[in-house]
Amino acid sequence: MAFHLRPDAPELPDFSMLKRLARDQLIYLLEQLPGKKDLFIEADLMSPLDRIASVSILKQHEVDKLYKVEINKPVLSSSEQLCFLVRPRIKNMRYIAHLVNTDKLAGRTRKYKVIFSPQKFYACEMVLEEEGIYGDVSCDEWAFSLLPLDVDLLSMELPEFFRDYFLEGDQRWINTVAQALHLLSTLYGSFPNCYGIGRCAKMSYELWRTLEEEEEGETKSRRPEIGHIFFLDRDMDFVTALCSQVVYEGLVDDTFRIKCGSVDFGPEVTSSDKSLKVLLNAEDKVFSEIRNEHFSNVFGFLSQKARNLQAQYDRRRGMDIKQMKNFVSQELKGLKQEHRLLSLHIGACESIMKKKTKQDFQELIKTEHGLLEGFSLRESTSYIEEHIDRQVSPIESLRLMCLLSITENGLIPKDYRSLKTQYLQSYGPEHLLTFSNLRRAGLLTEQAPGDTLTAMESKVSKLVTDKAAGKITDAFSSLAKRSNFRAISKKLNLDYKAELTLAQRQPFAL
Amino acid sequence: MDCYTANWNPLGDSAFYRKYELYSMDWDLKEELRDCLVAAAPYGGPIALLRHPWRKEKAASVRPVLEIYSAAGVSLASLLWKSGPVVSLGWSAEEELLCVQEDGAVLVFGLHGDFRRHFSMGNEVLQNRVLDARIFHTEFGSGVAILTGAHRFTLSANVGDLKLRRLPEVPGLQSAPSCWTALCQDRAAHILLAVGPDLYLVDQAACSAVTPPGLTPGVSSFLQMAVSFTYRHLALFTDTGHIWMGTASLKEKLCEFNCNIRAPPKQMVWCSRPRSKERAVVVAWEKRLMVVGDAPESIQFVLDEDSYLVPELDGVRIFSRSTHEFLHEVPVASEEIFKIASMAPGALLLEGQKEYEKESQKADEYLREIQELGQLTQAVQQCIEAAGHEHRPDMQKSLLRAASFGKCFLDRFPPDSFVRMCQDLRVLNAVRDYHIGIPLTYSQYKQLTIQVLLDRLVLRRLYPLAIQICEYLRLPEVQGVSRILAHWACYKVQQKDVSDEDVARAINQKLGDTPGVSYSDIAARAYGCGRTELAIKLLEYEPRSGEQVPLLLKMKRSKLALSKAIESGDTDLVFTVLLHLKNELNRGDFFMTLRNQPMALSLYRQFCKHQELETLKDLYNQDDNHQELGSFHVRASYAAEERIEGRVAALQTAADAFYKAKNEFAAKATEDQMRLLRLQRRLEDELGGQFLDLSLHDTVTTLILGGHNKRAEQLARDFRIPDKRLWWLKLTALAALEDWEELEKFSKSKKSPIGYLPFVDICMKQHNKYEAKKYASRVGPEQKVKALLLVGDVAQAADVAIEHRNEAELSLVLSHCTGATDGATADKIQRARAQALKK
Repeated sequence: MAFHLRPDAPELPDFSMLKRLARDQLIYLLEQLPGKKDLFIEADLMSPLDRIASVSILKQHEVDKLYKVEINKPVLSSSEQLCFLVRPRIKNMRYIAHLVNTDKLAGRTRKYKVIFSPQKFYACEMVLEEEGIYGDVSCDEWAFSLLPLDVDLLSMELPEFFRDYFLEGDQRWINTVAQALHLLSTLYGSFPNCYGIGRCAKMSYELWRTLEEEEEGETKSRRPEIGHIFFLDRDMDFVTALCSQVVYEGLVDDTFRIKCGSVDFGPEVTSSDKSLKVLLNAEDKVFSEIRNEHFSNVFGFLSQKARNLQAQYDRRRGMDIKQMKNFVSQELKGLKQEHRLLSLHIGACESIMKKKTKQDFQELIKTEHGLLEGFSLRESTSYIEEHIDRQVSPIESLRLMCLLSITENGLIPKDYRSLKTQYLQSYGPEHLLTFSNLRRAGLLTEQAPGDTLTAMESKVSKLVTDKAAGKITDAFSSLAKRSNFRAISKKLNLDYKAELTLAQRQPFAL
Repeated sequence: MDCYTANWNPLGDSAFYRKYELYSMDWDLKEELRDCLVAAAPYGGPIALLRHPWRKEKAASVRPVLEIYSAAGVSLASLLWKSGPVVSLGWSAEEELLCVQEDGAVLVFGLHGDFRRHFSMGNEVLQNRVLDARIFHTEFGSGVAILTGAHRFTLSANVGDLKLRRLPEVPGLQSAPSCWTALCQDRAAHILLAVGPDLYLVDQAACSAVTPPGLTPGVSSFLQMAVSFTYRHLALFTDTGHIWMGTASLKEKLCEFNCNIRAPPKQMVWCSRPRSKERAVVVAWEKRLMVVGDAPESIQFVLDEDSYLVPELDGVRIFSRSTHEFLHEVPVASEEIFKIASMAPGALLLEGQKEYEKESQKADEYLREIQELGQLTQAVQQCIEAAGHEHRPDMQKSLLRAASFGKCFLDRFPPDSFVRMCQDLRVLNAVRDYHIGIPLTYSQYKQLTIQVLLDRLVLRRLYPLAIQICEYLRLPEVQGVSRILAHWACYKVQQKDVSDEDVARAINQKLGDTPGVSYSDIAARAYGCGRTELAIKLLEYEPRSGEQVPLLLKMKRSKLALSKAIESGDTDLVFTVLLHLKNELNRGDFFMTLRNQPMALSLYRQFCKHQELETLKDLYNQDDNHQELGSFHVRASYAAEERIEGRVAALQTAADAFYKAKNEFAAKATEDQMRLLRLQRRLEDELGGQFLDLSLHDTVTTLILGGHNKRAEQLARDFRIPDKRLWWLKLTALAALEDWEELEKFSKSKKSPIGYLPFVDICMKQHNKYEAKKYASRVGPEQKVKALLLVGDVAQAADVAIEHRNEAELSLVLSHCTGATDGATADKIQRARAQALKK
C-alpha cells in the first residue's frame, strides 16, 4: 500500500466514489423513517460508519441520539422511532426481539427499523419470526461492502469472515465478496486479468462471474481501471500474519490498533492530557514516508525531518518584510501542520520503543527468524516455553506456537502436548477450546507420522520440477490441501522461474 | 375501378358504409345457427357453438356438442358436453371460453377445448338458478353478469380475480326484465335493465330509475338494447318501432329513428369506429339487416341466411353458415380517395400513378396538379393510410405503389410511416390468411398491439408464424422469439405421448441458451402436468441454480434442492431448503442428509450454536463426533452452569467424551481442570479471597503473594508444575512482594534451572541494584556480559567481553557505551578489537 508511484504509473481509480455511494444509500435508508429517531449502532460498525458519515450528517437526517448496541444492557432511549444498524447476527436479532417484546409488554408501540450491513440473512429474519416480531420491524439492507481506507486501499471490514469461513466452514460471506467484486467491476470496469489461490478465492471468483454473466448484456465495455486482480485465501499464507511487525505502520497497529485507517493516540503520545484520533493515510505526509520503513530506520528519518523543519523555520531570520509576508501566508501553515504530525509520530515511536524493549523484542525477532529459516529449532521451542512460563502475553504465546506449527508442518507430538499443557497452566484451562479451534483452522496442529519435513519437501520438489504444464495445477491443489511453508518458500527462493509458472498457472487463471 | 364503390352505401350526407366478405366459411354446420348457443370473441376471435341447447326440449339422452371454430370456420375443437345445462357462452379477453351453467357454475375452456378451471357464482345463484347471463369486457379483464331466477343480479367484474357482488334488488321486479345489459362506467360495472316502460340502472349501492332524454312517448316496453364497444353509447329498441340512440350516461340523445317494424329484432349492435363521422346501429331480424344512423334513410340488406353479429371496435362482423362478412363505415382516407369524382390529393396521386404505369403523359398532369396545390405530402399520407384500411392485398399494393411513386417527388418525406405500414400489412395479411383466421383490421391491430397478437398466435399454437413475425419485425429477443419459444416449450411438455428424454432434448435443442428463457418456468409447467421426471430433466438446463430450488422443493425433491442450493453458493437459499427439510423429514433422516453435505451442515451448526443448543448436541451425537461433543460440554460448563458441582459434572461429561474421541490429552486436561476447580473452591472456603477460574499458575502466584508458601509448594507438587515454571513463578512473585530475603533463600535452595540472569533482570525492574549485583556475580559466563550491562557495570562487562574474545558481546557492550564516562571503556574495546584482528 501507498508505494510511491512511478511517474509513468496510471492514475489511481477514484475510490471516494464508493464512500459517496455508501453515504447516499445510508441517508436514503434513514430518510425512509421520517422524523426524529434514535440510532443504535453495533460496536463493529462504529468505526466504518465514522468514515462514511459524520455525526452531523446523521443529525441532518433527524437522528436524535446515537447508542451502541450492548447486549444485556437496558435501553434508555425514549424516542418513538428506533433504528438499528447491525451486522446480520443472530445475537443482534435476539437483542432487538427482546427490546421489542419488552415494549409490547409495557403496552408501548414504537416504530422499529433494522438496517443490516452489508446484507441480511434469511436466518436473521427467521429468528425475528420465531421471536414473533417479524411484523413489527421493517428490515433493510445497507449494501456497504467496500470502505476506502486510503487512496489505494479498500477494505470490506468483515472481521467475522475469518472465523466463519476458516473455522466454522460457513460460506455465507462469499456471496458478499462476490457482490463487492461486482460493485467494483460495475464502477471501474471489468477486470481483464484474474488470478487466485485457495478454495474460497475460487468460489468468490465463480460467484462473481455468475453475477457478471447475468448482467452481461447491460454492462458496456468500458476501459478497465483495474488491470489485475488477485484472490488470496488467508489460509494460503498464515505465516505473514503471524510474524512480528517490523515496519512503522505495523508497529503502530500492534501498539495502538489501527481501526478503519484511523488510530487513537493516547495521552502518552500526544503529550497532553487528551487522546487524539488521527487518520493514517497518504494525506499524512510524514506518515506516508515512514509507514513502510523498517522501524530501526524510522527514528533516524524523523530526526532528519525535524532538522529540516527547523531549517525551514530558520529561514525566516534573514527575511525582509515582503518575504516574511509570503512565508507566513503560504508556508507557515504547512510547516505548522508538519510540525504537529512530526511530534505525534515521534511520540508514537517512543511509546512503541517503550513497549517493545520491555518484551525483549530482540529475542523475539531472533526466534521468529530462526523459525522462518528453520534453524535452532530447540532453542526456539524453549524460548516459546519460557515465553509461556513467564506469562508474557497470552496472544503472543499463541502466535509463536502457531508460527512454530506452520513452519514445521505441525508440532511433533511431544512438543504439541507439553506446550499445550504449559499454556493451560499459565493462562487457564478454558484455552482447551482455543486449541481445539486452532487445530480445526489448521493453525496449530500435530505432525502426522510420515508428514515429516523431508518427506513433504521431496514431494513438493518433485511436483514443481515436473514441467508438464497440466501437472502444475495438480501440484497446487495438493499444496493447497496441506501447504508446507518451508518447502514452498525454499522452492520459490531457489527457482525464480518456478515462481513465475506457479503464479501464472493458478487453478483458475484467465 | 368504376365498380370499386359499388358496395358503398351512403348513410346520411357524409358517411358511407360498406360490407365485404372476409371468408367463405369452412365449416359444415348441420344445425341452424339459431338452434345453437353462439359466442364469438372480438378482434377476429374464435367462434364457439353449443349445439342442441337444452331449451329445444330434445331427448335428454343426446349429449350436446361444444364446437370451437376459427373466424374462418376452421374447426379448432369439438367435444361432447358432459356437464350441466348451459345458459350462456362468452369469450374472455384472454380468449378463454366461459360457459355459464344453469346452476351458476362457470366452466372455463381454452381455445382448443382444453378444460382449464371452473368457479361458482355463489350459493344464491345456485339456489335460484341462472335465468340469463352476459360476459362483458372491462379494463380489468372480463366480467360475468348473471340474472337469477329470483330476478336479482350477481356480477363479477374480473373473472381472473373473482369477487362476487350481489346487486341490490330492483323494486317491483316480478318477472324477468324485457332486456338488460352490463355497462362499464367510471371503472365500475353496472346493470341497465328495462321493465315495461321503465329503465333502471343498478350499481353496487343502489338501484335508480332513469329516463332517456327525448324519447318519443308511447313506449310501453323496450325490446332490445345495445351498448357500444367502448361503453360510450347506448341504443334502445322500443315496442313502437323506434330506435333511440344516445350516450350511455343517458344524458344526451344522438338521434331517434323510426324503422316501422315492431317485431323484436334478433340482434342489435353498434357499428361505429373511433372518430366516426356517423355513428350507426345495426339491427338484425330473421331476413333483414338494417343500418340506422342520424339520417332519415337507413341502409337495408337482405339476409339470405341465419346470421350472427359480432360487434368490433370499428365495425361489425356478420357470419352465417356460408360466409363471414365485415360491415363498417368507410374510413376517411379511403373515402377521400375512392369517392366518385373525388379531387382529393390522394385520389389524384392514385390516378397519376396508374397513368404512369400506362406510360401516359397524364401522369405528369396529375402530379403537377397536386404539386401546384402543395398537397403532395398529404397525398402520400392519404395513400399510405388508405392502404391500411384495405382488405384486399391488390388494393393495398396499388395504394402503396402510388404512395411510393409520390414519395419520389418529395424532398424530405420521412420513410418510417411507409415502411411501418408495409410491415404491418404484411403481418395483417399473414394472420388474415384463411388457415390462421384472424380477420383483424388495421385499427383493431393497432389497438390490440403486436404483443397481444403474438400471444394470440401462441394461444393458437401457431409458434412458427409467431416467431417469423418476431424476426420479421426485429423484436428484441426477450420480448419476441424467446418468449414464444418458452411458450412452445410449455406446450411441448404437455404432449404426454412423447417420452421425457425426447421432450427435454427437443426443448433444449430449440431453446439452447436463448436469453430470457426460463427453464424453471417450463419445468414448473411440466410439473403442473404431472411430469416430475421431465421437470427435473428440464431443470438441469437451468443455468441459475437459484431458480431451480423453489420448484424442486415444490416437487418434494428436497435433497436435490439442497445440492442445487449449495451449488448456487447462496447460503440463504441453502438455509431455506434446510428448514424445509427439517419439517419434512424426521430428525434422524434430516441429520443423515446434513451429514453428506458439509457446507449445509456447518451452516446449520452455526444457526444451532445461537438458537438451538440441544439440536447441536444431537447433531454431534449423531455423528459420533466426541471431540466436538467434549468441546460442547466444556463450553456448557462455562455458559450454563453457575454452581461448582454443576460445572464439575459438565466437565466430567466432557472428559468422558474426550476419552471416547481418544483425545487423552484433552481428557486429562479436563480432569485437571476439575481438580483445580474443586481445590480452588476449597481454598476460597479456607483462606478467603478469589481463586475460582484462575489458571494454575495464577493460583500458585496468588498463594505465594498471600504468604501461603506451604500450600503453594503442595499445589505445585500435586499438579506436577515443572521446575522452570515454578522458578519463574516464585521469582516473579517474590520480587513483586519485594521479599528480597526469601528470594535469596530461594535462589540458594538449589541450582537455578533458569539461570540467574532473570534474577538480575527482575531486581533491576524493581529498581533494586544492590540485590541485582548479588545475582550478577552468579550468572553463568555466557550471559555474564548481559548481566553486567543490566546492572550498569559497563567497564566490567567490557573486561569480560574482551576476555571472551566474543565479537557480538563486544559490539553489544560498545553500543551501551554512552557519553564521556564510558569513553575509556570504549577505547579499550576498540583496542581489543584491533588486537584480535591483528592476530
